[in-house]
Amino acid sequence: MPSVYYINSSNLDTFISRLQKDFAVFAPFPRDSQTTNTPDYSYRRLNNDDRVTFNPYRSVEPLKTFFTNPSEKVCDYFNAHPPGPSEKQVVILGVKSCDLAAHRIQDYVFLEGVEVDSLYSVRRENTFVISGDCTLFKPVCFCLSLDILPHPTSGFDLNLSPLNDGYLAEVGSAKGAYLVGLYEGLFSPAKETQVSARQSKREQLIERLKKHLLPQDIPAKSEFQKLVREGYHSETWQQFMLTCVECGGCNLICDTCHCFLLADTRESTGFQKVRKWDSCLYANYARVAGGANPLRLRAQRLRNRFMKKFDFFPDNLGIPACCGCGRCIEVCPGKIDIREVLKDLAVKAKARQ
Amino acid sequence: MKEIYRPIEAIIEDVVEETPAIKTFVIRPKEPFSFRTGQFIELTLPGLGEAPFTPSSDPNIKEVMDVTIMKAGRITSLLHEAPARTTVGIRGPYGKGYPLEQFYGKDVLIVGGGVGLAPLRSLLYSLFAEIDKYNKVVVRYGARTSADIVYKRLIPEWEKKKKVDFVTTVDVGDPQWKGNVGLVTTVLKDLPIDLKNAVAIVCGPPIMMKFVTLKLLDTGFDPAVIYLSMEKNMSCGLGKCGHCRIGKFYTCKDGPVFTYGEIKDIPDIWD
Repeated sequence: MPSVYYINSSNLDTFISRLQKDFAVFAPFPRDSQTTNTPDYSYRRLNNDDRVTFNPYRSVEPLKTFFTNPSEKVCDYFNAHPPGPSEKQVVILGVKSCDLAAHRIQDYVFLEGVEVDSLYSVRRENTFVISGDCTLFKPVCFCLSLDILPHPTSGFDLNLSPLNDGYLAEVGSAKGAYLVGLYEGLFSPAKETQVSARQSKREQLIERLKKHLLPQDIPAKSEFQKLVREGYHSETWQQFMLTCVECGGCNLICDTCHCFLLADTRESTGFQKVRKWDSCLYANYARVAGGANPLRLRAQRLRNRFMKKFDFFPDNLGIPACCGCGRCIEVCPGKIDIREVLKDLAVKAKARQ
Repeated sequence: MKEIYRPIEAIIEDVVEETPAIKTFVIRPKEPFSFRTGQFIELTLPGLGEAPFTPSSDPNIKEVMDVTIMKAGRITSLLHEAPARTTVGIRGPYGKGYPLEQFYGKDVLIVGGGVGLAPLRSLLYSLFAEIDKYNKVVVRYGARTSADIVYKRLIPEWEKKKKVDFVTTVDVGDPQWKGNVGLVTTVLKDLPIDLKNAVAIVCGPPIMMKFVTLKLLDTGFDPAVIYLSMEKNMSCGLGKCGHCRIGKFYTCKDGPVFTYGEIKDIPDIWD
């Protein structure tokens, strides 16, 4: 069985419309495409008459929104409750390489360790991820600085790469093979020439992205951990937090950020534990009873965010918790740019030498 | 589907006032529940919120569990108003607790500060249960004033136990207090222990743990045998919610007991 197939554009439309019969299908749609050539793409569930356009770069929403919600019940307590109706199987289209890399972090948090988070794992099992190569990039994209390529290499069920008159569909998992098997007549084995056409398109985009990133002078990934550790007492944190308004946007939009708080509520049906996304930029994030707060200052909290991403995760998982998607850069009202922070740490490290 | 955050129902069976600010709650779980000494639980006030506490009772007693709580924040204040028969929730136990087997055959020094004696009480019961396995147990306990001493009804019994050397001190004396006056570090001089074969277990407010640790290092203790109970904001208890990170560890799942050797290179550990 081949792992790369060809599907022409009209067959892809058929494939997507058939998927909707069996699955809840979500896809990114362009916003304000009348007024701009580089619209943002935002997810919504497909309706029957929707025509999906291939998104050339990542969506506004991080992939994690399909697996944990900003606020959701995780359990009832003291009263036995019958399990709710099982959620419909989900297909997510338009996922990009950065999202898949970030997903490794979310999986580590919720599927590994002392306990498996069953709510997350059920959704994970229930979800088919159909990713796609990036064909353009946003000004804030810097995946290559994290050694992440702008086309998916693993972590997807099916990956679509646009060619001139159709797509190559690469199977990345048993679930992907299952999807292709369901609608077999729509796919044909890819030809050697098509696979090499995909390769040259990919290489062209990488070259363009490299050119885009070159003048930005972002430090190498291999330096990140050293920079945040040795820059622990750097002025950088104080300097960059000056414009932080503690909105938490960088955390909430981040595809790797996973922090949450458990809260308790009383509903008509009984008591519930509710999980709410939390942000390490919020003043009370690390506060303990009695008022002691190891992250009392905003500069400490900004540093904490970087230590978690570039020190904790490399130590525990071997990779930083950043996928170079640039969402935090776009969202920040204080214009705090993760690339600039890393660069500043590098500049100050050099000056110390 | 396993609900990892679901608390089990429990009843507060009794409330014992230890000091004006500290109460011990005797809690009876409605489902089987056990813990190892030093592990902690999340105690839920139904619909209102939860907070982490280390049980203070003997882990070998399974039917009920004591939790000694100082009134400090929102949940602890609400708990202090809760009468006996109040329904609460418990989940856990979480964390690694005290590695008792590492203490076998050793002189065990226990240094407590204020309500920090609570987890140490559970440790003491575990040590007493197998006292022949340890060389001796030396306890140094400090409270702010004599009114702030917890377990006043129990300490005289512990002082009489074989192989146990128990000394209490208060930071500020008063006419009724006949014992030692001075910070707990003042009763760490000339300890009746063999430094080459000793471990130290410290629990108390961060500032106390810091100065006790410095004193112990000064005395000649190796960082690898100083066991500290770290206090952090812990929500999930399972290493997922992110709040209690110190360095590469989560306090909830990798601790809450760490050796000083494990964490000494992490900046700002006492904050």
